[in-house]
Amino acid sequence: MAMTLNGPFTIQVLTAFIREELGKAGFSKAVLGLSGGLDSSVCAALAARALGPKNVLALLMPYGENFSADMEDAREAARAFRIRSLVVDIAPMVDAYFAALPAGRVRIGNKMARERMSILYDISAREKALVLGTSNKTELLIGYGTIHGDTACAFNPLGDLYKTQVRQLAAELGVPEKIRTKPPTAGLWAGQTDEGELGLTYAELDKILYALVDERESRADVIARGFKKKTVDMIIARIKASEFKRQMPPIAKISTRTIGHDFLYPYDWGK
Amino acid sequence: MRPDPSLCYVGGVKIALAQIAPVLGDVRKNLELHLKIIDRARKEKADLVVFPELSLTGYKLRDLVETVALDPDAAREFRVLKTLSRDIGLVLGFVEERPSEKGMFYNSAAFLAGGRILHVHRKVFLPTFGLFEEQRFFAPGRNFRTFATPWGKMGLMICRDFFHLSPHYLLFAGGAETTLTISAAPGRGLSEEEGFASSRMWELMGESMGRFAQAFVIYCNRVGFEDGVAFAGGSFVYTPMGESAGRAAYLEPDLLVREIDLRDVRKARKAWPFKRDDKPEVTLAALERIVHGYDA
Repeated sequence: MAMTLNGPFTIQVLTAFIREELGKAGFSKAVLGLSGGLDSSVCAALAARALGPKNVLALLMPYGENFSADMEDAREAARAFRIRSLVVDIAPMVDAYFAALPAGRVRIGNKMARERMSILYDISAREKALVLGTSNKTELLIGYGTIHGDTACAFNPLGDLYKTQVRQLAAELGVPEKIRTKPPTAGLWAGQTDEGELGLTYAELDKILYALVDERESRADVIARGFKKKTVDMIIARIKASEFKRQMPPIAKISTRTIGHDFLYPYDWGK
Repeated sequence: MRPDPSLCYVGGVKIALAQIAPVLGDVRKNLELHLKIIDRARKEKADLVVFPELSLTGYKLRDLVETVALDPDAAREFRVLKTLSRDIGLVLGFVEERPSEKGMFYNSAAFLAGGRILHVHRKVFLPTFGLFEEQRFFAPGRNFRTFATPWGKMGLMICRDFFHLSPHYLLFAGGAETTLTISAAPGRGLSEEEGFASSRMWELMGESMGRFAQAFVIYCNRVGFEDGVAFAGGSFVYTPMGESAGRAAYLEPDLLVREIDLRDVRKARKAWPFKRDDKPEVTLAALERIVHGYDA
């Protein structure tokens, strides 16, 4: 399986992408949410290389004192890449909201992701910077992210890398070992891990996704490779159910020329 | 030396491959970029500068196609370029629309030398699958033909044309000593090796086509990103013996200047007389049978 990447070349592509996307839009600075996890650390390292550390601002947005170990990792990553960082505690806003409208942990988790998005966009305006996305291909494909939350960004350098590949790049980029080896978590509630919640390891999930998506294999062929039918079906169902998170919402067409249907301009228009 | 299309220049030709990143949808800025590069190439004493596909407009135009279309016989941009071509040959990509064919937009390549346009090739094979949607916005060209240049007979292809066997054969049968392919090829597929898998595919086919045709294979690809797609660069020159005569950087803007010796075509065709032994009439008769279903 060609899941293994040439590290230096991949880094060359992604740093060029970051530099060009910002440059074409007339920006030189980027902000990103740094959670202390693998994806945001890799993204921060790439941005520091692409733009110079001074042009990258990491926002650390803990919920009160929860996940303080992750915050410590985020600080360490910011130090390792010599990027600037700013801490904004989201507990006061989130608590105020749910004091008025109590909810379960999924709604709270999604609200927290959107609170962070809202802060990122606000600070990006203050800093004259663009928001870097940190969602990887694995989570984008299975919809393991909050719409208008952690998936919101100006552009995303990691969206075509599976989690397994992000991990490879992390080593190449000098991401601190502690961050590379701890279990991935969305940090929505205490004790949550991605692999626990999904019911399978990223290694297995990525192999199945790679076969289905990159190699365009059929369900039957993937199962024939020895993966469990139940697992493959669960993944296919998740891909289908989350398509709405990967697209702009449909517009009802009534005119002769409609945005998204036949009003078709490139994103990089004039750039 | 000032090229004269009526003279067949024999010997060394200095070719500059201008691996640029055009601005999407801004002809004015792209013309400026062309002028800058032509100036650099002239300082390097290049005879011919080759720009990538849609070098005057950028690639992923979609509905911008009609706003950047040019009539090469009338457009101011072409007047400027024709003047420059009096002492340096130029190959570039643009969106073509003629007054006689209003509303027909072609993804075209122009060859300019001696102050004139010697040939315009319209892309025949417009990729429309996966990430490509060219047939949605362009009309297809309908011909591949060779043309005389100050540096021997040449033929033009645009990007996807290169992946089909027929244009290579037609240009070979038409007597091309050099094929020039201009391209906006995205980089696709990463592995443990350096560069994109798609770049290796181009190189392998370039080498093979040099060997098949005993002709120079010159390929100019673009760089830069459009809507997240990285254009891979890696422009190259293969000799009539299928040897690499240079490759530009992957991903980065570059100006690759290489001198080729047209006498190498003669040398290669003496060693491997595939051109002498070719039987286009057999190909034609067989194609007639295939196309008209005589065998069915």
